[in-house]
Amino acid sequence: MAVLEGAVVYSNLLVLLSIGLTITYITTGIPNFAQGSMAVFGSYFSLTLWRILGVHPYYSLPLSFIFGGAIGVGIYALILKPMIRKEATVVMLMIATLSIDIIFIGILGAYSETLSSITRMATTKFIFTPMDFKLLGIEAVLVISSFMIFLLLLALFLLLYRTKFGIALRASMENPTLAEIMGVNVEHTRLFSWFLSGSLAAVAGSMLPFRQEIEPLTGTIIIVSIFAASVVGGLSSIYGALAGGYIIGMSESLVTFYLSTFLGSGILVYSKVVSLIVLVIALIIAPMGIAGLSIWRNKKWSRYTSS
Amino acid sequence: MEPVYFFLDVVLWFSIYLIVVLSLNVEYGYAGIPNFGRAMAVLIGAITVGYVMNHILMLLLGIDGEIVEASGIVKSTMNTMISHNPLLGMCILVLSLLLAAFIGAMAGILFILPSAKLKNEYLSIALLAMSEVLYQVSNYNTSIIGGYYGVSVPNVLAWIPGEWRIMYVTLLSFGTALIVYLFVDKILTSPYGRLLKAMRENEDVVRAFGKDILVLRMKTAALGSSIAALAGALYSFYSMNVIASTFFRVEWTFFPFLMVLLGGRGNNKGVALGVLFFVLTKVSLTIYKFEIRSILQLPFEATWLEYILFGMVMLMILYYKPDGLIKEKPVITPPIKQALKEKNIKETKNIGS
Repeated sequence: MAVLEGAVVYSNLLVLLSIGLTITYITTGIPNFAQGSMAVFGSYFSLTLWRILGVHPYYSLPLSFIFGGAIGVGIYALILKPMIRKEATVVMLMIATLSIDIIFIGILGAYSETLSSITRMATTKFIFTPMDFKLLGIEAVLVISSFMIFLLLLALFLLLYRTKFGIALRASMENPTLAEIMGVNVEHTRLFSWFLSGSLAAVAGSMLPFRQEIEPLTGTIIIVSIFAASVVGGLSSIYGALAGGYIIGMSESLVTFYLSTFLGSGILVYSKVVSLIVLVIALIIAPMGIAGLSIWRNKKWSRYTSS
Repeated sequence: MEPVYFFLDVVLWFSIYLIVVLSLNVEYGYAGIPNFGRAMAVLIGAITVGYVMNHILMLLLGIDGEIVEASGIVKSTMNTMISHNPLLGMCILVLSLLLAAFIGAMAGILFILPSAKLKNEYLSIALLAMSEVLYQVSNYNTSIIGGYYGVSVPNVLAWIPGEWRIMYVTLLSFGTALIVYLFVDKILTSPYGRLLKAMRENEDVVRAFGKDILVLRMKTAALGSSIAALAGALYSFYSMNVIASTFFRVEWTFFPFLMVLLGGRGNNKGVALGVLFFVLTKVSLTIYKFEIRSILQLPFEATWLEYILFGMVMLMILYYKPDGLIKEKPVITPPIKQALKEKNIKETKNIGS
């Protein structure tokens, strides 16, 4: 049961991260290799508030949301937008996000060592699990991360289908040129998507220490799972990212756990191999992900999934 | 640090990075394959030395046991044997390099296969993920190359006194890098090199001329990965051990990309210049690491500063100088040279008349 709970928490966080990655890919066409490190920024943000001001990580979630959003907007407005203006190729933009990732790793490493010299506590590796409590007999992180997903989906649904901005957003996701002709400011929707991507990453990062140990390089490890989840989802629809996050999160934790029951605990280090295999299979069988499978074409709601 | 050692350090790192960067230039610079998994081929070269070669030697010497301890015994036994018989060391070195090139080529072919159906973005994601997974598995699993303990590698130059070793290793690496450079330059100025550039610019045109894109990509990945594996093997013989954590993505994928773009993609001379600039900066930073830390009163290690610095430099290059220091020039083949000459003669005649 504890394994299942852990798997659900992990999948929830993966969904937040892969929705963020997918939404920036839809609007700007750039796979963001810095998504993992953006999440770790959230982890260190919560750690700082906890160590210095004594704020419990759950209470710092709203602040983390804003902090992450600012980072996302910063990446887009200061680095990627000028490059897009100069008509950089997609590969160039991907290398730019790789560079951002390296800069983030450097900042996180430097910051973690600075923080430990200020607080006189080791912060290069940390975990929040001892601070978690029980809500109705289950771990609070499970309840809160599931609630976050619910809240996010509700907010996204209301925004996308009930407001004028949402219509503009969907229009510029499906056909930016046409949307621009119709008077939609595509730049606003791109900025918004980067804000959302950064803030979701930071919120996921703030909750990640409840589930696994965090160090400055954690981002480089979880990026494999994030990409696997997004690519399985097709990188083209938010629902795809949602499904992909649960598929990858569940298979990564449950498959390795199941294998470890009769192959020994040594198999647990291969959890990322599982998501890699799912990624490669997804790429070979359905290069456009599950959202791109032709079986959805006949369904009525396919017009919402920009396939 | 004495100037001699500074010089040797620069030459050594220049040689090793030049090999990796040339391999990336073949794949990314010429063929346009965004191989974000370069570190994987380098790691495969190191695994060839740390796992395959150590196992061969264990078999020959009749040593068994866990690789971490057994490789230590192999090392000390081999070192005594090599110190009496220099030729044996050379044999091991050459055999390992050939083996690394072969395994690297096989791995390159295998991992480029998904590209048959993938766009550039998806391919680069797949390659990065594969590289990251191999890194993590060899870092956590102690039975491949000892995980975080690492494995020992015999000193192939055991017959040389300790203080001279670094000089010979540097010479050896530089020699290998020079051979690789001449080889790559030769092969890329052939029609094959121009075919790769054509593929980079427009795959449909290449297909229309009857070339199979996948076969071309497989050949290129085999060539690139086998060269990169050489660097991994060479680095392992230099450091006399193999530890998975030294083959981190930043060092062996990101920095090579930085050097290719700094020098100018698709241009071997420019790329070599890029490597030189990078290595000079990196070696200076490594040497003055502690001075930098104490002067700036940093509460953290200077390595992190290095990451931030090189990341910034990369963004600057991408924004201000995407063509690099030396811009790629069209290859002047003999027929083109002839055509240019005739054109010039005609023009001068026209001016004369």
